[in-house]
Amino acid sequence: MKIPSILKRRSFAAGLVLVGAVAVAAGLADWLAPFDPVKNNFRYRLGEPNHAHLLGTDRFGRDVLSRILFGARVSLRIGLLVVVASGLIGGVVGLVAGWWPKVDSWLMRVMDGLMAFPGILLAIALAVTLGPSEMTAVVALTVAFAPRTARVMRGAVLVARAQDYVEAARAVGARTGRILRRHIVPATMAPLMVQQTYIFAVAILAEAVLSFVGVGPPPPQPSLGAIIADGRDNMVEAPWIALSPGVVIAMLVLGLNLLGDGLRDALDPRMRNTVR
Amino acid sequence: MLRLIVVRLLAAVPVLFVVSLVSFGLTLLVPGDIAAEMAGQMASREEVDQLRAQLGLNRPPLERMVAWYGGVLQGDLGRSILLNQSVGSAILERLPVTLSLAGIALLVAALVGVPLGLLAAAKAHKWQDQAAMGTALVGLSLPDFWLGLLLIWVLAVKMQWLPSGGWVPFSDDPIGWLRSIAMPAGVLALNQMGPLARMTRSAALEVSNSDFIRTARAKGLAEPRVFARHVLAAAAVPILTVAGISFGIALGGALVIEQVFSLPGVGRLVIGAVLRRDWPVIQGGLLLTAFVFVAVNLIVDLLYLWVDPRLREQR
Repeated sequence: MKIPSILKRRSFAAGLVLVGAVAVAAGLADWLAPFDPVKNNFRYRLGEPNHAHLLGTDRFGRDVLSRILFGARVSLRIGLLVVVASGLIGGVVGLVAGWWPKVDSWLMRVMDGLMAFPGILLAIALAVTLGPSEMTAVVALTVAFAPRTARVMRGAVLVARAQDYVEAARAVGARTGRILRRHIVPATMAPLMVQQTYIFAVAILAEAVLSFVGVGPPPPQPSLGAIIADGRDNMVEAPWIALSPGVVIAMLVLGLNLLGDGLRDALDPRMRNTVR
Repeated sequence: MLRLIVVRLLAAVPVLFVVSLVSFGLTLLVPGDIAAEMAGQMASREEVDQLRAQLGLNRPPLERMVAWYGGVLQGDLGRSILLNQSVGSAILERLPVTLSLAGIALLVAALVGVPLGLLAAAKAHKWQDQAAMGTALVGLSLPDFWLGLLLIWVLAVKMQWLPSGGWVPFSDDPIGWLRSIAMPAGVLALNQMGPLARMTRSAALEVSNSDFIRTARAKGLAEPRVFARHVLAAAAVPILTVAGISFGIALGGALVIEQVFSLPGVGRLVIGAVLRRDWPVIQGGLLLTAFVFVAVNLIVDLLYLWVDPRLREQR
């Protein structure tokens, strides 16, 4: 996979622009944000968008644009941590299940059990069990989504272990550790990367829901879902509060899905049939 | 055939066991004193002790687990502390709202998404394909709760066409019911349409290269009929699989969207219980929603046999 060739794929390029724009804006929030995101200004509450407050202010007079910039940073950080954690945990579980048939059915029954819950409900219940914070949001979403990664990883391992070169490696006496490291794991990286890109998108959506129902990172920490929840009560007088963060979430999720589609098509055209 | 059904049913047992283990185990993970937290800061020592006894928290975890399982197997999920009602009946009386919401959303999603996917496959790589898949992707990327608020703002606040929330039972007033369910079900349907359309497209593309499709075309069948009859039939199994998974996601979506539209369903109950730490309701809600999901996927498994005669022969 050459870098330039993948950029020629329109969906990948479009995804990169969408996610990149939000990521850069969030990364530079300290410089870009016109106001302190948690500073109240009771003289300008529920203020309409104007040239000072481009997206208006909320009921505490806090600048909505600044809150969105810092909120996007929280969403991206949580999403990224969930991607890494679910990739590691799901990856190892899938590898073990795919390689050792004896533990396969046990491990996958546990994964099936976790996947039987509506993911978002399991995450909400876990988040409140562990006490709402940024870290517990990561843990809750990882538990909810790692089984999906495990399932994809297991499938990829099953495909890889049936290859002739794995048979050949075994025939020349390579030990299991070496076969896994040199032959199996590299062959699973493409489907794993695609899956984790989709998980990134789902995790950002789910984090927004956690914050929206009030079990995300606690206030006054801005988070995209929490800003929407805040604005919900003032939907009639100040619709801009709830509406603008949703656009940012949609940009991120759409962008990540486009990136995932682009990666999938570039890395392996045969994977177009995989179910997420 | 019957053996196959029994095998599928037995396969659900370990899954349900894991589900129950997680639902119960959740309370063991709570740091601090559950009873004190539930009772609130105003509660006296005696009240906390009484609540602790009522929840059985003064007994060791293993004993609590045995008692909980004993109850669950007899259909007793415990009592809600806040509602002072049995958890089972509290959930069951709200289940129709949630199930009809998720069910109608999935139905609409399938009625729109499957033809959309077939269209995209028939016109693969043409503008119709890109328009259909673009719609599907945008649909599945929009946050449902936010879209709900947006619709309330436009259709209920500005236009005043639809109520902004609340529930009218079908038996009371079918038109009112339709008006109360239109926005939340529409939002969920838009989300679920995406995966269904995408899966239909890829499954149909896969099938459309096979010999029997070429034969159907060669004998002069019109293209719409080739797709409606032959491609759809052969692509039905993967589409059903996605529909089963989509139902689970629609169920989760319904739980959340109920908050936005103030619908008296399981989501309002359970998420309300989460915020007020009503553990028996949280446990029961997790257990029952997972149970519904497992049951729906069992039905999907049996539908495979109906749509694909080849699968009936196996085993």
